[in-house]
Amino acid sequence: MSRVDPTFLHEIKEYGAVGIEQCFNCGNCTAICPLASDDYPFPRNVIRRIQIGQRDVLRTQLDPWLCYYCGECSATCPKGAEPGETMMAARRWMTARYDWTGLSHKLYTSTTWAIGALIVGALIVLGLAWLLHGPLVTDQVQLNTFAPVEMIHLGDLILAGILSFFLLSGLFRMFVFHFREGGKWKLPPLSVFVTEAWQLVYHTLTQQRFSKCEGRRRWISHLILVFGYGSMFVLIVLFLTWFQTDNIYPIYHPQRWVGYLAALAIIYGASDALLSRIQKKHEMHHYSQLSDWLFPILLILLAVSGLLISAFRYMGLPLATYYIYVAHLVVMMMLYICIGPMGKWAHLLYRPFAVYFQVVKEKAREQSNVTAGALSSAD
Amino acid sequence: MKDLKVDALVVGGGIAGMQAALDLGDQGFQVALVEREPSIGGKMITLSKVFPTLDCCSCITTPKMSAVAHHPNIKLLTYCEVESIQENEKGFAVATVQKPRYVDEATCTGCRLCEYACPITVPSSFDRGLGSYRAIRVPFSTAVPQIAVLDMDNCILCGKCEKACPVDAVVLSQQPEPFTIHATAIILATGFELNELGAKKEYGAAKLPNVIDPLMMERFLSPTGPYGRVLRPGDGMEPTTIAYVQCAGSRDKTLGIEYCSRVCCMYAIKQAMLISGALPMAEITIYYMDIRTFGKGYEQFYQNAKAMGVEFVRGKVASIHEDEKHNPIVKMELTEEGRIIERTHDLVVLSLGMIPAVSSSGFGLVPASDGFISVPAPNASPTVTERPGIFVTGTAGGPMDIVDSIVTAGSAASEASAYIRSKTMIAESQSEVAYA
Repeated sequence: MSRVDPTFLHEIKEYGAVGIEQCFNCGNCTAICPLASDDYPFPRNVIRRIQIGQRDVLRTQLDPWLCYYCGECSATCPKGAEPGETMMAARRWMTARYDWTGLSHKLYTSTTWAIGALIVGALIVLGLAWLLHGPLVTDQVQLNTFAPVEMIHLGDLILAGILSFFLLSGLFRMFVFHFREGGKWKLPPLSVFVTEAWQLVYHTLTQQRFSKCEGRRRWISHLILVFGYGSMFVLIVLFLTWFQTDNIYPIYHPQRWVGYLAALAIIYGASDALLSRIQKKHEMHHYSQLSDWLFPILLILLAVSGLLISAFRYMGLPLATYYIYVAHLVVMMMLYICIGPMGKWAHLLYRPFAVYFQVVKEKAREQSNVTAGALSSAD
Repeated sequence: MKDLKVDALVVGGGIAGMQAALDLGDQGFQVALVEREPSIGGKMITLSKVFPTLDCCSCITTPKMSAVAHHPNIKLLTYCEVESIQENEKGFAVATVQKPRYVDEATCTGCRLCEYACPITVPSSFDRGLGSYRAIRVPFSTAVPQIAVLDMDNCILCGKCEKACPVDAVVLSQQPEPFTIHATAIILATGFELNELGAKKEYGAAKLPNVIDPLMMERFLSPTGPYGRVLRPGDGMEPTTIAYVQCAGSRDKTLGIEYCSRVCCMYAIKQAMLISGALPMAEITIYYMDIRTFGKGYEQFYQNAKAMGVEFVRGKVASIHEDEKHNPIVKMELTEEGRIIERTHDLVVLSLGMIPAVSSSGFGLVPASDGFISVPAPNASPTVTERPGIFVTGTAGGPMDIVDSIVTAGSAASEASAYIRSKTMIAESQSEVAYA
């Protein structure tokens, strides 16, 4: 027997939910949602879990990740209970559950912690830069003398390692929460995970579910951001030695335009999100938490500072290049460590995996239905 | 038109206004009843049956309409509009306009020969557009008074009615006539309107032919209705599956109407029962968030409907669209099972809520947050407005059913009676003092 736990509602409100108490479970949100299904009848089932305090049940669900905040639920809710915002808060809460360090909870629920983490991150980078930087050549730009690419690449890899460690452990916890019920594994056959693996790639690249929301503009803008960000991430983590160089390439060389295009894509996508939040023009952007502001702002700062490094370098301004380079590293640190695996950034990983898990479960059920059908017809 | 001096003015000739006028008239007060339509009767005269007794509506309303018309103490003023209310030391001076009927009230006998001669057919507002009438007509068969009215917007001035009229009552040169009613007290009984069919865009924005409002269904079910049977308006087919969407125009923040309209559950159940009688093979579904059957005998009425086979499904209908045959499809979550369903019906009735028919600011009153006339002490004196001498009854003060409208009419009449007596006593004592 389980008991109603009213504290859960207040806990979720710390993560930014508004108006859950208003909900009288009429089901309008779930029926208007273009993404909900019988197996995932959100937002109402998520709201219901929160209202009655079923932490353990919500923790296992994929539903919050299957929502892209089209906002139709909030726009049509007869009580103004903001179901979309509850789903957003549920995602933040899920991220904090996947994170075993407890930091995510602090970063999401305390502004002091969030700002503090950013400052600490910045100080670490500034300190390292001050200690480790090479000679400042001032008669011409020699970025690789100031910050040797090998050293930076090593730093990138370490950063990526830390990031991956936290993200993968988070993903592992998500996997366990979802597929282990009441101390028993309820795993679909491994073969289905393998045969459906392409779905993970497909959904990561296309964000196809997002396109089901009414009005595709936000999907396209988000897709542009994902592509810009994804290509930049690959460039920096895997090909930094090619990307950060003192060789001056002509403008038509891919070394230059790939970077510019990716940076512009990030600026476009993130500015679109940011402007929309400022103007509150979409349902999704009526309420904004600190993390919702930080994510696009840091992305824009990252892209702009990246472009400025390039600009200063080609303009032949050594000191300006070095300073902006350090600033660029500071922003990167903030993005990856401070809000990365424990914050909004992590949806990059959790959302496609949730879609993947959903597809795998559906396929596995289809297969078992076919088998059951074959057995019964054999009788 | 001559100015008028009365003890009480009742604004609105629906069931609440008529009852208040009768209650005051029976006590010996001189009453003027102003109605903006050409006939009294209000919304109630268009209804089929009343809940929870399933009595015939006309059988209750028409005797009251006649009683008002023939009462020695009641002056009935139809097709008149109140413009403003001025207050002076004697009471209220109410600026009123008699709208032109283009028919002389004194000579018209209601023989309808003009109506038969008129070549112009227009959709009947009495039948909510389902039936039709002529550009000149007696508004409906049981209208009070039985005087023809010409609808100038649709008239082509062919003059056939003028020739057909045996008493030369058609006067095309009539103009609006302003006049003043001096009254000691006023009772506002301005009633309600149904929220618009297209108010919620998710429900088809009034573009789906087989999604109708409940007053249309009342006309289908009424013995005086346009077809005398239940047909769907899209193609005249007899519907076999009919759905009611509850809270379609109330309890919805997106429409700015957060209050419960109080009558929709009961009228939906009533109509479902009547449809079961009219179309015994029809399947009737009521989609609801909560069923609120709070009045005397109401819960039993609901249980009876369930026992009769009316299906009650819990969940708010999120959207309505239609298939290629214009059959409405409702989409909703079965909240007791957590499943999302889409169901096709032949006919869908939106259980729309009540909104105020007129703005109370025209009477010098500040509307309540819900838009209805505000009552400062709803528990102690539910019919007393913020302005001394002005009282409210029926749905002008907020959503209520017929039972409550009649109860508040009695209450408002009582309050007005006490107010008029105290005013006259003060006036008398003052004149005595002056005399002394």
